[in-house]
Amino acid sequence: MNDMRIADRAVDTHGIRIKASAVQVYYGESHAIKDVSVDILDKAVTAFIGPSGCGKSTFLRTLNRMNDTIPICKVQGSILLDGENIYDKRVDPVQLRAKVGMVFQKPNPFPKSIYDNVAYGPRIHGLTRSKAELDGIVESSLRKAALWNEVKDRLHAPGTGLSGGQQQRLCIARAVATSPEVLLMDEPCSALDPIATAQVEELIDELRSNFSVVIVTHSMQQAARVSQKTAFFHLGNLVEYGETSQIFTNPKDPRTESYITGRIG
Amino acid sequence: MQDSHIVSSFDRDLEGVQAQVMKMGGLVEKALLDAAEALELRDEALAGKVRAADQAIDGLEEMIQTECARIIAQRAPTASDLRTVLTVMRLATALERSGDYAKNLAKRSLVLMGMAPVGTATGTVRRMAKLVVQQMSDALDAYIARDAVRAREIRARDQEIDQMYSGLFRQLLTYMLEDPRTITACMHLHFIAKNIERVGDHATGIAEQVIYLVEGELPSDDRPKHDAVSESI
Repeated sequence: MNDMRIADRAVDTHGIRIKASAVQVYYGESHAIKDVSVDILDKAVTAFIGPSGCGKSTFLRTLNRMNDTIPICKVQGSILLDGENIYDKRVDPVQLRAKVGMVFQKPNPFPKSIYDNVAYGPRIHGLTRSKAELDGIVESSLRKAALWNEVKDRLHAPGTGLSGGQQQRLCIARAVATSPEVLLMDEPCSALDPIATAQVEELIDELRSNFSVVIVTHSMQQAARVSQKTAFFHLGNLVEYGETSQIFTNPKDPRTESYITGRIG
Repeated sequence: MQDSHIVSSFDRDLEGVQAQVMKMGGLVEKALLDAAEALELRDEALAGKVRAADQAIDGLEEMIQTECARIIAQRAPTASDLRTVLTVMRLATALERSGDYAKNLAKRSLVLMGMAPVGTATGTVRRMAKLVVQQMSDALDAYIARDAVRAREIRARDQEIDQMYSGLFRQLLTYMLEDPRTITACMHLHFIAKNIERVGDHATGIAEQVIYLVEGELPSDDRPKHDAVSESI
C-alpha cells in the first residue's frame, strides 16, 4: 500500500542515523534501561512515549552521553552514530554534543543577548572564521527556528526577555547553530501554551528535512502529530517500536494499547 | 489489556453509542421482516407501519454520528478505541441504508397490493429477507462479541443470498416473457429483490468492519462470488 499513501509520511526511504544495540543503563543498583535496541532514522521524527519513570528520558540522554555527568550511571551496549560508537574512549563528549544537540523541557537561554545565545556554540567549537560568517550562522539558525522575523530588530536584547515560546525556539536555534546531525528534545512543549506548542511542532516538522529528530513527550497526541516513528517504553523495556500511524491505530502489544488508550498510567 | 479506561466517562461514552447502534440494528431487522411479511400477506397496515418507523431509524443514525463526532473531538480516541468509534459510524451508515431499503420495500408492496399476484415470487422474497436479516443479526452479534472468526463465516455466506437473487431474477424474467402484463409488478419485485440483496451486502460490510475492529485491517482477500445474473442477461 506504500504507493497509495495520501500524505507524505513515508519514512522507510531514509537510512539509519543512530543504531542502538542491547543498551543497558544502571543507576547504581537500579536497572533503568533493559536491553533496548532501536534504529533511529535520518530525516525523520522519532517519538519516545511511555509513563513517567519508564526510561524514555534516560534513553534519550544516552544518545548524547548526558548521563556521563551522573557518577552512579553506567551504560552498556553499543550506540552507533553514523557507524561510530559514541561511547568509544576516543570520542570527545563535547564534540559529540555539537553533533547531537539537545533541547530541554524548560526553555533555558543563557543570560546573554539573543545573538550571543545562538553564537555561543559556533564560537566555542571554532566553526567560523569571521564576524560575517558568524552573523550568517546566527541568522540562518534563527530562521530555521522560525524566530528570525520576531527578533531581527533586537538581536542584542537579552534572550531571557522573550516569551516562553520564543525562548524555546531560541534554544532550538542555539541547538541547530552547530549544524548537528541529530536533535534530541526532552518534552520541548510541556511549558508552552497551545499556540507556542503549535509553532514548535511546525518547526519540528520543518527541521526533519535537515535533521534526525528524537522527541520525548508525555502528550500522546503530540507524538501522533509530529512523529513518523514511535517507540513505547514501559518499565525500562522498549515494548513496541513502529510507524506512528500503526502504533496509534493498530498497536501490536497489549501494553502499548493499554497505555495509548488511557487504560494504564 | 485492561477493559476500563482510567477516565470512566470515556467508557460510558463508548458504551452509549454502541448501545444506540444495537438498538438501531434491532429496528432495521424488524422493519425488513415486517416489510417482507406485509408483501407476502398483502397487509397494508403493516406496510404503512414500516414506512412510518423509518423516521426513528434515521433519527438514531443522526444521533450516533453526532455523538461519535463529539467523542473524536473530545476524547481523541486511539487504537481499538478509535477503531470502535469508526466502526460504530460505519455500522450506523450501513443500518440507515438498510432501513431505507426496508421502507422502499414497504412502499413498493403497497403498489403491488393493487395488482394481480405474480407466481410465488413474494414467498421467495420473504425467504430472502429472512436470510438477510439472519446475516445482519449474526454480523451484529459478531460485533458485540468482537468475533472475527464468526465475521469471516458470515462474509462467506453472502453467496447464498446472491444465488437466491439470481434465481429470482431468472424467475421474474420468465414471467415477463410469458405475459407482458406482469411487467410492472415484476419490475417492482425485481427492485425489491435487488434491494434485499444490497442489505445482504451491508451485512457483509458489517462483518468486514468486525474484522477491522478486531484485527486492525480490513480483509484483503476477495470473497467468493457467484453471480449468475451477468450470464442470464
